[in-house]
Amino acid sequence: MLAYVLLWMVLWAMVGGVMTPRIYARKDLDVANTGLAGALMGAALGPFGLALLWWRSPKLTGRWLATPGVLAVLLFAAAFARTYPGNLCVSNGSFVVTQVVNGLILGLIYGLMALGLTLIFSILGVVSFSHGEFYMIGGMLVYYMSVVWLPGLNPLVALVGAALITFLIGVVFERLFLRVMNTGQVERPGEYAILVTFGLAFFLQYLTLALVGATPKKAPRFLDYPRLDWPSPENPWLLRMRAGTVEFLDTVSIATPRVTAALIAMVMLLILMWFLYRTWIGKALRAVSEDRQAAAVTGINPDTMNTLAFGMGTMLAGLSGASLVQVFSWVPWVGTLASARAFVIIVLGGMGSLPGAFVGGLIVGLVEALGAGCIPDPQRAAAYIPAYGMVILTLVLLLKPTGLFGREL
Amino acid sequence: MLRSRRVWWLLAALTALVLALAACAPANVQQVGSPPAAEEEAPGEEAMPAQEEAPGEEAAPAEEAAMEEAETIKIGALAPLSAPGSVTGGEAMKAAFEIALEEINEAGGVLGKPVELILVDTAGQPEQGVAAMEKLINEDKVVAVVGEYHSAVGLAVKEVARQYHIPVVFAETWNDDITASMYPEVFRIAPLSSEVAAVDAKFIASLGGIEKVVIMTENTGYGIPAAESTTERLAELGIEAVTFSADLGTQDFSAIIERIKAEEPDMILVLVTGETSYNFEQQAAEAGIGPQDIPMICNQVAGDSESYWKNVPDGNLCFYRRIGLPRALYTPETQAFAEKYMARTGKADVESYAMEAYDSLKLMAQAINEAGSTDADAIIEALENIEYQGALGTITFPVNSKNPPEAAGVEPKWWHQFPKPAITMVQYQEPGQDSKDAVVVFPEEYKTGEPIIPGR
Repeated sequence: MLAYVLLWMVLWAMVGGVMTPRIYARKDLDVANTGLAGALMGAALGPFGLALLWWRSPKLTGRWLATPGVLAVLLFAAAFARTYPGNLCVSNGSFVVTQVVNGLILGLIYGLMALGLTLIFSILGVVSFSHGEFYMIGGMLVYYMSVVWLPGLNPLVALVGAALITFLIGVVFERLFLRVMNTGQVERPGEYAILVTFGLAFFLQYLTLALVGATPKKAPRFLDYPRLDWPSPENPWLLRMRAGTVEFLDTVSIATPRVTAALIAMVMLLILMWFLYRTWIGKALRAVSEDRQAAAVTGINPDTMNTLAFGMGTMLAGLSGASLVQVFSWVPWVGTLASARAFVIIVLGGMGSLPGAFVGGLIVGLVEALGAGCIPDPQRAAAYIPAYGMVILTLVLLLKPTGLFGREL
Repeated sequence: MLRSRRVWWLLAALTALVLALAACAPANVQQVGSPPAAEEEAPGEEAMPAQEEAPGEEAAPAEEAAMEEAETIKIGALAPLSAPGSVTGGEAMKAAFEIALEEINEAGGVLGKPVELILVDTAGQPEQGVAAMEKLINEDKVVAVVGEYHSAVGLAVKEVARQYHIPVVFAETWNDDITASMYPEVFRIAPLSSEVAAVDAKFIASLGGIEKVVIMTENTGYGIPAAESTTERLAELGIEAVTFSADLGTQDFSAIIERIKAEEPDMILVLVTGETSYNFEQQAAEAGIGPQDIPMICNQVAGDSESYWKNVPDGNLCFYRRIGLPRALYTPETQAFAEKYMARTGKADVESYAMEAYDSLKLMAQAINEAGSTDADAIIEALENIEYQGALGTITFPVNSKNPPEAAGVEPKWWHQFPKPAITMVQYQEPGQDSKDAVVVFPEEYKTGEPIIPGR
């Protein structure tokens, strides 16, 4: 059943994706987003939706994209439920809620990391291949500061320390190796940036391996939550908090280190948004990302902004690693998969788009959690986790190459 | 002016980077593909000043190479020293190789010549393993190869060994097919995956009251067949098994753990290796299905107690499998090696793969000595007849060309296979317990205490 529905959806999505731009072009209308709208409409409503779209040829506002998008997801979900009635994602509501909450929590942290990558891209025009290594270093620094060098140091203080150090490494690296891109001393700045950040990634990973060894590290949880039952100790159906777990609504149980990490990510996101939208320097950063020359004319030094952006980007990666070192075991190559995921997120959200990185993080977190939770074959469900992100990436590149929030080319 | 200042800055920074790398690299990192960096410095090198190689020497004239060959006996070694391989395992093996090499050279080397060990990184990747093996054979001209940790690499490398007719003693590759293809060049001292599965299944059945087991395995040449053979063995004993698998390097297991919870297993068996297993075990404990909630056989890396407790603080009552003689039955050889190994690494116990690495090299050295030459056929014949006393006990290869599997009435997987690596099941019974104090709970003959079964 599911296979037939999928085949039907893919077939009409292809027809819609290919034909709609042509029809709009023939009618001399704006072709932006027509491929995506056609594909979504075809997937959701098949020939009927396409006939409506082609006949009316409306201006493609968000509503024309969102409605068929939601319908297509619902159609897929319904077919899945009919095919696998016993699947936990169909029969067990609390399982689904748990997966969604887990996905959103990890998505927040992925988003924080991707935000750093997209910030660097939007201002320097460089895709940093060393982003995952800063994630790794952030975690290592918190571990070493709070466990080895200064045992007993509050991990939240160590977190700030890790943020500062990753920021400084980023600043120094930008001054030494990336500044030359803007002075005309490098013949092919794009390729140069890829190679030099790639080199940095290897350097940092193997240097860390040489310094700290391969034994996995893990910081103890940052916060022990107080014992709390709400609304009443006899019947804590809304919230039940213990040192190691938090349980909502009697069903969703989350380990407290994850909750802490998600709270840290949220606070950082708020601070970052405040910084970028409310302070002079933040506005200057955004101005440089919009138009470098125009920003320079108004008295903003683009080189300083480059340094600042790279430092902030590496700091965000460092912070997401720092907040996760209490959740996962930490080894020098832990950044490799994380940085691959960050690339997927920023392409999905739109290269250089800050809200895009955030929303992209949440989407990837959700899809990974639901994919691993719902794929019927237990042998494959978790083994395919890295692939789920790639499937979304492929779809986005096919249907909307600029990403969800990307600037139109 | 500005331009030249920048160039100086860059040069200075580059020099600093190179110096830092040069200072750090030899301690832990070997890379394949760049011969000078890939060469492991032999610890007994002071005794062999002639073989110091300068970069670029691979273009040395033939007679020089021949002279060098005459001065030392070169043995190749494979181990995963970078991700995605198990670097923890690789580094333990490296330390063990160094101890074995020191002992061999102190005892006068092999055939009266010092042994030079060339250790190459396989990163746990079959293609990198094949490249490493070809480099060892073609560039370094080794006479034999020992080691390796990952089955996937072993499966690929045995083909190269066959092609070039170079004897190999595999240390820690468990996949049955490695010996089952019955190549004359291939020997193994690690246990067979299917035999380990049988021990796991018997142990699970011995606990009583277990009807359903969840197997959490890794998506590799070791993990998938190991899960399959365990499922078969469990089915023979009337126990149902459900397998979940994940890639090595997976950090987040929350979705899978919720699914495992819904299966309501009576027991969990973890076949994922390395830090990935720590991630799974601790997250399972946080979700309420950890070793203190239901019986769990953790991965054998739990044997590194210091790192286990740091990464799995809620992991008390975990069972784990230990390969090699239990402490009470240590031979003088095991004891001597264990002391040297613990002194060198600062660890509280010896991991099985360290013992296997140590034995693989010493075994090969003894075989070459007994063969009286570095000819491959002579070494293979010596290996078939060997009786070697080492850290794992007395190693022999009873199923061989004179006693093939058909004649011996056994399956082909027993070809050139060390038949009796002792396999025991151990349990941590106190939080923070040292692995050397952990209680041996299975099998009967090695038992030092009763298992504590959570929830009973």
